[in-house]
Amino acid sequence: MPAQSPAGPVALWRSRSGRAAAFADRCPHRGMRLSHGFVRGETLACIYHGWSYAKAGNCLRIPAHPALAPPDTIRVATLRVEDGGGIIWISVGEPAAGPPRFEGLAPLRSMVLEAGIVALEAAAGTKAAEGLLDYTHDDRAVWLLLAPEGQARTLMHVLVDEDSNPDERIAASRAAEALRGAAEDIARGGIAR
Amino acid sequence: MTRNTMIDGWYPVSLASQLDAHGRRTALMGEPIAVRRGEDGNAKVTGGNGRDLPTCIRYGHVWSSLGDPQKPLFAIPEADQPGRRLVDVGVVRVRCSPLRAVENFLDIAHFPFVHTDILGAEPHTEVQNYKVEIREDEDEVWATQVKFYQPQAAKSAEGGITTEYMYRVPAPTCSILYKTCPPRPGEWDVITLFVQPLAEDLCDVWPWMALFDDETPMTDLIHFQQTIFVQDRSILENQIPGLLPLDPGMEIPTRADLTSVAYRRWLKRHGYTYGAQLVAQ
Amino acid sequence: MTILGEFEAASFLPWIERHAAKLGLVQAICVAGPDRIELDIAGPAELIDMMEMGCSLGPIDVWVEAIHRAPIECESG
Ligand code: FES
Ligand SMILES: [Fe+2]
Repeated sequence: MPAQSPAGPVALWRSRSGRAAAFADRCPHRGMRLSHGFVRGETLACIYHGWSYAKAGNCLRIPAHPALAPPDTIRVATLRVEDGGGIIWISVGEPAAGPPRFEGLAPLRSMVLEAGIVALEAAAGTKAAEGLLDYTHDDRAVWLLLAPEGQARTLMHVLVDEDSNPDERIAASRAAEALRGAAEDIARGGIAR
Repeated sequence: MTRNTMIDGWYPVSLASQLDAHGRRTALMGEPIAVRRGEDGNAKVTGGNGRDLPTCIRYGHVWSSLGDPQKPLFAIPEADQPGRRLVDVGVVRVRCSPLRAVENFLDIAHFPFVHTDILGAEPHTEVQNYKVEIREDEDEVWATQVKFYQPQAAKSAEGGITTEYMYRVPAPTCSILYKTCPPRPGEWDVITLFVQPLAEDLCDVWPWMALFDDETPMTDLIHFQQTIFVQDRSILENQIPGLLPLDPGMEIPTRADLTSVAYRRWLKRHGYTYGAQLVAQ
Repeated sequence: MTILGEFEAASFLPWIERHAAKLGLVQAICVAGPDRIELDIAGPAELIDMMEMGCSLGPIDVWVEAIHRAPIECESG
């Protein structure tokens, strides 16, 4: 699936055995987006000419030249991936520590907002700390994990208390949708002004 | 700024069969143009400032130019051969460089992955060596002896066969494909790709065919080609960069890409760079 | 491999080295002039084909007229 990172578009995929990997979203052969590719076993294959890549990014097979064992130097740039607590993290560069763990919280859903973080904070009436926005709505706490995609768009992951029952989860989801609407209104107003 | 050397070329701007007095508004290389049937019955094309543009009707399409064409439109002798069915496929709008649309048409290695079970199928993915040349007299790119296994090469083909192709590029945004023709050994079916450059990153693709096939209903022939081009569109709109790189520094062409490389060399030699990226990044 | 054409060798040589590195090919440039570059490369035929494909197009400020390939009789060091 396609994803965004500060280093540009990313092809995020999960192999047959369940391992997640993140590639720069451009095939080194002739530039097709790898996020349109297909997973076969432990490899991701480009949809255009079928070049396939291992999780480490090295090319394993060039179907037009089946006799060739591609050298290790033919490769796609990779990003580090951490897969934990129901959230997949990618990092640009080599971070010193692993991603944060949110003890006691469970991820509920993700949504994209056509609004920047500032508009979102204004709508929520509170500020995010280290990418996590602690939002209380109708006495219920919802945590919003924010990944900015440029200035005017945000990917928001909704987390709830892991003991929440289905009704509470639905309510949290609705609250997040309402917040998205409010933030997008503010963002649009900002542009109109 | 250097002069756009593609300005003097002929480009398709409409189907001849759809020409009417009311006309069609479209664009050529960023300039709005209007195409209609004039009082004398001939096609009339006017540019953005109302000036009359050169016009001709050939191969089912109306052709025009923003500049001053030094040569008549390229010849397709097979188009006049008796017994062929001429098929106007229509138009497919693609958000990509017009040059990328042609390059993709010249490519066979994608058949098993993009046109799965129609023009190709795994495990038949190998691209055998073929010949590519620039024919100096005509100043055209030709690829010959191109062979590929196809599960269903054409509407008239039953079951898989190894099909032989020839590709020809007579103009920067036009290509002609000659393909072995199951009902008539010794003859070639002709499938063309005429590309109208609307902008550097937007084009209308007008496929056209001259086939030996009396059986298949016209709508099936059209539908077959449209299916293929819609599959190609999902590729063309997702290649990075959007313009066609003339420097392969960010790519890895292989021998299977020989036609693509020859086409890009030919564009570079002539300075045909409308829709091209000059420096890799 | 002999590359003939018109080029500012200065811009082309690093380009050639980068492309060879991407293909994992070890090459040694023996002659580098404004109209002729000679290099020794060893590796599988498909990879040398890929080197030839890339170089025949090259960067925008060079024009490659032709590329000739000949087997090297004795390994040059
Ligand atoms: S562009 Fe990915 S395999 Fe050709
Ligand atoms: Fe195609």
